[in-house]
Amino acid sequence: METSTLLGLYRDMWLIRAFEQGLEREFEKGNVPGMLHTGLGQEATQAALAWHLKSTDAFFPDHRCHGINALAQHRHGGNGERIMAELFGKATGVCSGKGGSLHSADPAVGNFGDNAVEGSYMATVLGVALAAKMRGQPNVACAIIGDGTVGRGEFHESLNMAAIWDLPVLYACVNNGYAISMPVGEGHASADIVDMVQGYGFESRQLDGNDIVEAWTVVGEAVEHIRSGAGPYFLEFKTWRWQGIFAGEFRPEAEVKYWKEERDPIMLAGETLAGRGVAPNDLEAVEQEMTGLIEEWIAFALESPEPDPAKATADVYVGWEVDSR
Amino acid sequence: MTAADTATPKRTARTPRKARDRVRKVAFTRALNDALDLAMAKHDEMFVIGEDIAEMGGDFGVTKGLLAKYGPERVRDTPLSEAAIIGTCAGAAMVGMRPVAEIMFADFIAECYDQVVNNVAKMHYMFDGQFKAPLVIRTACGGGFGGGPHHSQSVEGWFLNVPGIVIVAPSNPIDAKGLLLASIDSDDPVLFLEHKALYRSRAEVPPEYYTTPLGQATVAREGSDVTVVAAMRMVPMALEAAEQAAGSGVSVEVVDLRTIRPYDAATVLASVAKTGRAVVANEAPRIGGLGAELSARISEECFADLKGPVVRVDGLDTPIPFSVPLEDVVLPDAADIAAAITTAAQY
Ligand SMILES: Cc1ncc(C[n+]2csc(CCOP(=O)(O)OP(=O)(O)O)c2C)c(N)n1
Ligand SMILES: [Mg+2]
Repeated sequence: METSTLLGLYRDMWLIRAFEQGLEREFEKGNVPGMLHTGLGQEATQAALAWHLKSTDAFFPDHRCHGINALAQHRHGGNGERIMAELFGKATGVCSGKGGSLHSADPAVGNFGDNAVEGSYMATVLGVALAAKMRGQPNVACAIIGDGTVGRGEFHESLNMAAIWDLPVLYACVNNGYAISMPVGEGHASADIVDMVQGYGFESRQLDGNDIVEAWTVVGEAVEHIRSGAGPYFLEFKTWRWQGIFAGEFRPEAEVKYWKEERDPIMLAGETLAGRGVAPNDLEAVEQEMTGLIEEWIAFALESPEPDPAKATADVYVGWEVDSR
Repeated sequence: MTAADTATPKRTARTPRKARDRVRKVAFTRALNDALDLAMAKHDEMFVIGEDIAEMGGDFGVTKGLLAKYGPERVRDTPLSEAAIIGTCAGAAMVGMRPVAEIMFADFIAECYDQVVNNVAKMHYMFDGQFKAPLVIRTACGGGFGGGPHHSQSVEGWFLNVPGIVIVAPSNPIDAKGLLLASIDSDDPVLFLEHKALYRSRAEVPPEYYTTPLGQATVAREGSDVTVVAAMRMVPMALEAAEQAAGSGVSVEVVDLRTIRPYDAATVLASVAKTGRAVVANEAPRIGGLGAELSARISEECFADLKGPVVRVDGLDTPIPFSVPLEDVVLPDAADIAAAITTAAQY
């Protein structure tokens, strides 16, 4: 990988981290309604996926994907602040505040929206992929799911149909070790999800989701494979989420220490860059620049107006109006 | 809402307690926890099952402590597999077990809807009484938290058209405990709805085992001019509206349904026959919901007693938006019930 590419990914990872840390702070202050799940600790996985997906592709993000949503919005739409505003429930958000953290979508940048009923879009992704295939478009349809979500019946239904129809689906399974509190090895027949996928007969691979070089390289190969019409691809990213159960920590101290202190994906990428001669000041500058950008987005979200009350009854149907009170 | 928000509130015992504070005031979640504990001690064939319910005690803390007391065979964590959770309960119930499932948010029941509607609810009927399905599905429902479209719904309407299922919907901690114990005792399948806004409400809950009968409404406040029929969170709102109405000389009777299906029509109709005016309050969207059923039934059966049309208070006919100001537009509140009381009282 070129150093310039690695530096670009380093920026992306910092964008995600600054986004999530800023969001956590604002959530604590009560500025962000609802529930908050962050992608902290999973920045390499997310940056690698966001890098290779085009605005003409489709991705279905899960509840930890603010970072991917923000990167896609920033890169393809030039308005990443609209993801932040959505999380604040503001009129300037990508769904005018109607969706929030668990339902942010903007098809113009390839974001087909989360479904807070975990894993339901494992089925939806098939249709997006089928349409691309029927129309002869070289598009990738990507479903991003956690290890816990593998428990859903749709997981099987989706992999099976993608296989028999050779659909252009990228399955990105983010194995961070746990569902909410359920360890992956206790919730599934195998702690290695790729083992469960073998029988479907298409390409699958497990990789280090905290190593940005590996993640970027493997995602690139998988996307290339799918675009060439060679069928679905399943990737299992081994990673770890910094967030425990909401704010609470339930995992062994040594495990927490290991992942945060030795396996921090940004730290690891920083070390690689330093090894290639990038000056500490230049790395520091990336962090500062991204933190500054995110503070601008937060200010934008805070200053944005609440949605117009008329929005509450708008868009239930395309062809009908709905009564207000 | 976070797990931290809904954890059993800490006691603050610094200030000297007034006499009335000496009585045990217990949160709704704790009352449910008590009920599960007492029922597990009573029924050897009972087990609880769901996502993160064992060590973690559930997203809202309702199953806390059960694992330590009853062990992992009877307090069973599952993967994220709602259809298989309810399927497991259904099969176990067919052979005489008494499972109590937790579906973390009621919205996720859509994932096991087939199990509930086509299997659990019909099993006793279609196999000519040879199987029973004595299971309970506990689930957290309702809005008001910025939870957005998949964490805020009132799902009773999804099941109102399903004969064979019992829908229980408590409005306060005392009933919550008694109704849950009665639900577990029942040989019919029960969908037990726990409104999230009520989880932290407190009352003097008797510590001992008791049951509150299924299928029986209660008069939560007596009055003579207008009847308000409500369930769950609409009950405290109706009581608040009734209090306001009393200030302007309107005497309101509040009927708390407690069981939504099969519901206690006798109590509802007797109250409306007495007052001659009816308001039905319901958080879910208007069309085809509980309010629609109650309004139709009251209109049919109390036609001669009614002084005016039944007035309905419902959620708007929309999904629930994430934005809190928009959610406020969509969901009904005490002021909406008060306005409906004023409308009804004009006749
Ligand atoms: C169908 C459904 N069941 C349960 C939930 C509640 N829930 C939200 S996140 C989660 C765990 C998901 O675990 P995983 O897929 O590993 O994602 P992670 O949070 O670890 O990133 C659960 C059970 C849900 N949202 N949808
Ligand atoms: Mg996980």
